[in-house]
Amino acid sequence: MERKIDNSALGRYKKRMLALMVVLALVSQLVFWEYIHNHPTGVLAYMLAVLPALSFIGIMVTYGLYIAELKDEFVRTVVKTSLLWSIVATLSVTTLWGFLELLANAPHLQPLLVLPIFGIFLGITTALVNRRYE
Amino acid sequence: MYCSIKNPAERRYVIRMWVSAALCVLFSTVAALVFRLGHPHGVLAYLVAVLPALPIMGALVYTGVYLGEEKDEFQRNLLVQSLLGGTGGILAATTAWGYMEDFAHAPHADLIWVYPLFWAFAGISYGLVRLRYR
Repeated sequence: MERKIDNSALGRYKKRMLALMVVLALVSQLVFWEYIHNHPTGVLAYMLAVLPALSFIGIMVTYGLYIAELKDEFVRTVVKTSLLWSIVATLSVTTLWGFLELLANAPHLQPLLVLPIFGIFLGITTALVNRRYE
Repeated sequence: MYCSIKNPAERRYVIRMWVSAALCVLFSTVAALVFRLGHPHGVLAYLVAVLPALPIMGALVYTGVYLGEEKDEFQRNLLVQSLLGGTGGILAATTAWGYMEDFAHAPHADLIWVYPLFWAFAGISYGLVRLRYR
């Protein structure tokens, strides 16, 4: 049986994501420009560095809103299960690599990579969870 | 202590978590001793370094198993929401810190802190979710 997709929540999610992507691109460009030309230091440097991160945090909040707005219980279960297994995988990787860095002098993995790693796992787990329910 | 927990799924979860914690302490001590006394390098160093991470990964899997075994829908929902809150919190924190490391030369954050920080965020989230249902 074909499932009816909750288009209203998905539509709002896509619009918000698009807006945030535009904000992220603009803010990142501005921050890069400021760092290349004015070399900020101290508190200003920290404040500017956090700006692109705020857009990413906005993206996460948008995803949270999408889950909350989902009316289809099945889709919500798939999304939540995928998210939970993704964080399990991400925490496993970061913990493993953390010990390798600490004890075996493995190369430093930037904390900035945690979010993309989570994103990759989310893609994989979503496919696996969907396949399980097929 | 375990006798006071009436829920069998919760009791199993608490016991498994304590076993994981004990194994983590044991493996950390073994790894530290091997590195201090044996100075391993190459593949052996990597293998010894990942030893303490294994019980931590086990604890994560046990959390997933507990979610599967928990019969109380409310308790399960409470934990799922807390874990999702923890996920959002840790991804926001690592992204913000990553940008600060890259741009503002903030001190290097060890990835080993991602796991405890995740639980700190999940704990805060748990308190907030409980308040919501009061």
